[in-house]
Amino acid sequence: MDVVTLASQLNAGTIIPEGIVTLTLLVVLVGDLIAGRKSASWLPYVAIVGLLGAIAALFVQWNGTSDTIAFLGAFNGDALSIVFRGIVVLSTIITVLVSISYVRQSGTSLSEFLSILLAATIGGMFLCGASELVTVFIALETLSIASYLMTGYTKGDVRSNEAALKYLLIGAASSAVFLYGASLLYGLAGGETQLDRIGIALSQIETPAIAPVVALVFVICGIAFKLSAAPFHQWTPDVYEGSPTPVVAFLSVGSKAAGFAFAVRMLVTAFGSLTEQWHFIFAALAVLSMILGNAVALAQTSMKRLLAYSSIAQAGFVLIGLIAGTESGYASVIFYLFAYLFMNLGGFACVILFSLRTGTDRISDYAGLYQKDPLLTLTLSICLLSLGGIPPFVGFFGKIYLFWAGWQAELYGLVLLGLITSVISIYYYIRVVKMMVVKEPHEMSETVKNYPEVSWNLPGMRPLQVGIVLALVATSLVGILANPPIDLAKASVQRSPILQASISPAKEVAVSRFAPVQSSEFRVQN
Amino acid sequence: MLSALILIPFIGAGLLAVLPNRFSSSQVKWVAIAIASLAFVVNIIVGYQFDPNQISFQFEEVIPWIDGIGFNYHLGIDGLSLSLLFLNSFLTVLALMSSDRDLPRPRLYYALMLLINVGVSGAFIAQDLLLFFLFYELEIIPLYLLIAIWGGKRRAYAATKFLIYTAVSGILILAAFLGIAFLSGANTFDYETLRSAGLPFEIQLVLLIALLIGFGIKIPVFPFHTWLPDAHVEASTPVSMLLAGVLLKLGTYGLLRFGLGLFLEAWSYLAPWLAVAAAISALYGASCAIAQQDMKKVVAYSSIGHMAFILLSLAATTRLSIIATICQTIAHGLISALLFFLVGVVYKKTGSRDVNQLRGLLNPERGLPVTGSLTILAAMASAGIPGMVGFVAEFLVFRGSFPIFPIPTLFCMVGTGLTAVYFLLMINRVFFGRLSDMVTYLPPVGWGDRVPAIALSIIIFILGIQPNWMVRWSEAQVGRLIAPETVAQVTVLNPKGD
Amino acid sequence: MELQLQYFLLLAAFLFCIGIYGLITSRNAIRVLMSIELMLNAVNLNLMAFSNYLDPENIKGQVFTVFVITVAAAEAAVGLAIVLAIYRNRDTVDMEQFNLLKW
Repeated sequence: MDVVTLASQLNAGTIIPEGIVTLTLLVVLVGDLIAGRKSASWLPYVAIVGLLGAIAALFVQWNGTSDTIAFLGAFNGDALSIVFRGIVVLSTIITVLVSISYVRQSGTSLSEFLSILLAATIGGMFLCGASELVTVFIALETLSIASYLMTGYTKGDVRSNEAALKYLLIGAASSAVFLYGASLLYGLAGGETQLDRIGIALSQIETPAIAPVVALVFVICGIAFKLSAAPFHQWTPDVYEGSPTPVVAFLSVGSKAAGFAFAVRMLVTAFGSLTEQWHFIFAALAVLSMILGNAVALAQTSMKRLLAYSSIAQAGFVLIGLIAGTESGYASVIFYLFAYLFMNLGGFACVILFSLRTGTDRISDYAGLYQKDPLLTLTLSICLLSLGGIPPFVGFFGKIYLFWAGWQAELYGLVLLGLITSVISIYYYIRVVKMMVVKEPHEMSETVKNYPEVSWNLPGMRPLQVGIVLALVATSLVGILANPPIDLAKASVQRSPILQASISPAKEVAVSRFAPVQSSEFRVQN
Repeated sequence: MLSALILIPFIGAGLLAVLPNRFSSSQVKWVAIAIASLAFVVNIIVGYQFDPNQISFQFEEVIPWIDGIGFNYHLGIDGLSLSLLFLNSFLTVLALMSSDRDLPRPRLYYALMLLINVGVSGAFIAQDLLLFFLFYELEIIPLYLLIAIWGGKRRAYAATKFLIYTAVSGILILAAFLGIAFLSGANTFDYETLRSAGLPFEIQLVLLIALLIGFGIKIPVFPFHTWLPDAHVEASTPVSMLLAGVLLKLGTYGLLRFGLGLFLEAWSYLAPWLAVAAAISALYGASCAIAQQDMKKVVAYSSIGHMAFILLSLAATTRLSIIATICQTIAHGLISALLFFLVGVVYKKTGSRDVNQLRGLLNPERGLPVTGSLTILAAMASAGIPGMVGFVAEFLVFRGSFPIFPIPTLFCMVGTGLTAVYFLLMINRVFFGRLSDMVTYLPPVGWGDRVPAIALSIIIFILGIQPNWMVRWSEAQVGRLIAPETVAQVTVLNPKGD
Repeated sequence: MELQLQYFLLLAAFLFCIGIYGLITSRNAIRVLMSIELMLNAVNLNLMAFSNYLDPENIKGQVFTVFVITVAAAEAAVGLAIVLAIYRNRDTVDMEQFNLLKW
């Protein structure tokens, strides 16, 4: 086998988006080396241009070739991975926008922050398409180690140190557990590391064996840690509270989206024969996450901790779509993550702006903010209400679609629990809105009384403003124009062979059980 | 055309929110009134072009919204929605007019009022279940903020209570809607398609109970009513007018359109229980109203009692009683809005709503003679004195329901008798007697505080004398909703038979 | 007597359990890191054993092991750096002292 045929077999074109991001990372590093401190003024825009280039490359791939398997099966650039990679890159773009002024104010180097963030993005992007155990592991660790570094990025801050240490220890432990599961899979599959071959090998184990289930449980530990689903959530509130806010913004969206992509691919491909078992485990995780996340969020006094518990709860909602296991189930996961991207990052952008101007993130300090900063109040209110699923914002449509998919797959209990807990969530989101909007001028908090003059001319504030306005517009309008993104999500599911193989025809039929009258209509649809 | 009814106030609300700061509160108010009047004019045009003899939906607009889940932006009106739509845009204009001239934070206030108008109008004309739900939920946050910001002393408590109750009602309704969309196998939320779905009886029953509790919270029916008196007492006058006048009607409209319209079979099975619930609610509302010291609470509990009549006639499900439902909905909307407005005027001028403190307000020189006379008129209308719309509506309700549910109807009649009792008690204390000498001159009642009341009174009279104007829109519709004359004996559902 | 696969797996499982025990009970952050290394080595042992017995031609497991060792080194480096930073700020690496962030 000579080099040329090997190179053509690699199908390296699939990872052009990752290549572009890597190149950007190098440009940022070298640019910082050459230009020194002055480079901080233009490096973020280089990063954003590079990330936009990656999105363009992803777009080309979406319309491009059908040959998606690359590197002899180690990476699968199918439509599913393209969509998830797009979400990861988008979240990085917004994170860069909102982080510039924050990093500047914390007195640390911006270019290093950007390079670590880009490294995390690369890890996340590879994780979305990795279909071989070694690749999965490397991608996962690239994402994780970069995240640990970012969490502890403000070296002088004790809380940041502590958050980083906790995150690292829990993260490393969970990846060790995941690896143990992966090593068992390797053995069970008789020496295969590719996910699809592992899936085939596992399905050939006829007698009910305990070993695959043990491997499954170990693997799920690693996944649930990335998704911060209860009971693997303990790190979330601490890390969210302690680490720099832009990092949290990335962790809550980009890292979580990559985790979901990884979960879908791993479970559907490798554990296709254990579908019942992993559905059961994930249903338990979803129930715990929804109840615990929403209930504990009620008692929070810190905005970042509130958002941490809310993100645990949101993970629980998204799991409903994953468990549904139907075409619309997976599509609703994608759509919800897309919606979550904007509303959550918008929320974090507002928290960043508020803490930049006042240096606090206690909820009671937001009292009476509407008088001093209407734009911030409006954006944060809309993002939080959207997270709570209030129409006509995008979160409402995301939730409706998730619950619709769940109900269609006959997950009545989970959907009802989701509905009930989302009422609880409205309560704590509106508490913040009430704090900002309802309070009279004389009830204003000391912090807000001393609120600085709203000015966007400080260095790094313009990008933050762009980020906030972008999130505001997307949160309010994507819901009304929900059809194109949902179509995109559905198309990505339809065009991904691994999902098509797993969507059992039995479930689609079950829905029509009650519908003798409508059977003719069903035939038309099929 | 129908989209304009939603878009005008919606865009108007956005416009008001970004209006420059230099506009004074009363200027903002006039802009808001202009926008609401524009919507009202559009409504009149729609009503003018509406063909009452055509039984299918008119002015339909269908735009696919989310294909994946069969969710369409589907608007359309029939006779049932049209009259409610009128009520909504009319009361919105009046509520805006009766808002304080020098209100704090006017831009937010008027924008939220217009958003409520959007939500209610949208819910009345939505012909897609999810679209209805969207509009139904849309009105929660504005109303929450309206109570929480411009309310009375315990406004935070009342607003939160309202929010939780309504959110619970929302999820029950959503669960029922999801249920009907899937269990019927239609995979769409289109109202017309789902009407012909034909679910098994047990499933209908489960879904209907979810809907009944959901809308029952909104109406409100005893024992889900506790949020309403709090919300009314704490809300400012215009918000109370809208709340009693149109927001509660979403509950009865929802029951009529979705409960009765989609689950006719289960509905007729549960109807006796509904009638009992209505009777309990009517008596409970009336007896609580007697015991109240706060004028606004009296009106609030009377509202619970009168909304129960609507439920009673809905339960009866005859052609006549459905027409009575519409009449009573409109009558209650007008009368309760008038009462809340008048109580608001009294409160504004005297600073109290306590029936033990107020006395002799009818005093022609130092009191509030016009307001007092109008209150007496409104109380008469509410108690069902002939010549006013309340009489027509209540007569139709009892006439329509008595043959089906004689005993609950009798109890409800007692409730209407009690209406006269508690309103007379209130009027006797507040308006008659001697005005204390301590009170010198109460602030004069300007025309701004009279126009809405007089306009409402005139409408109440006109519709009382000429009720045909109220029901002619809906008569053709009613037959379609309940296919045979009386449904009580119906066992086979045949929605295509009409 | 030829060694059987099970012996290796049992040893690996035993190591893994020691690692988890150390992870849970250690108060010193360095010891926690070491326990994690122990868990990773259990994984390596597993992979080597499987590679030797089931996949002697492609030896994917051995390749995997090389990667695990490399990444573990990176993880340890980052971990030690964070521990160092925390030691500079707090003068301790005792896990029980890290209580600024409450659950």
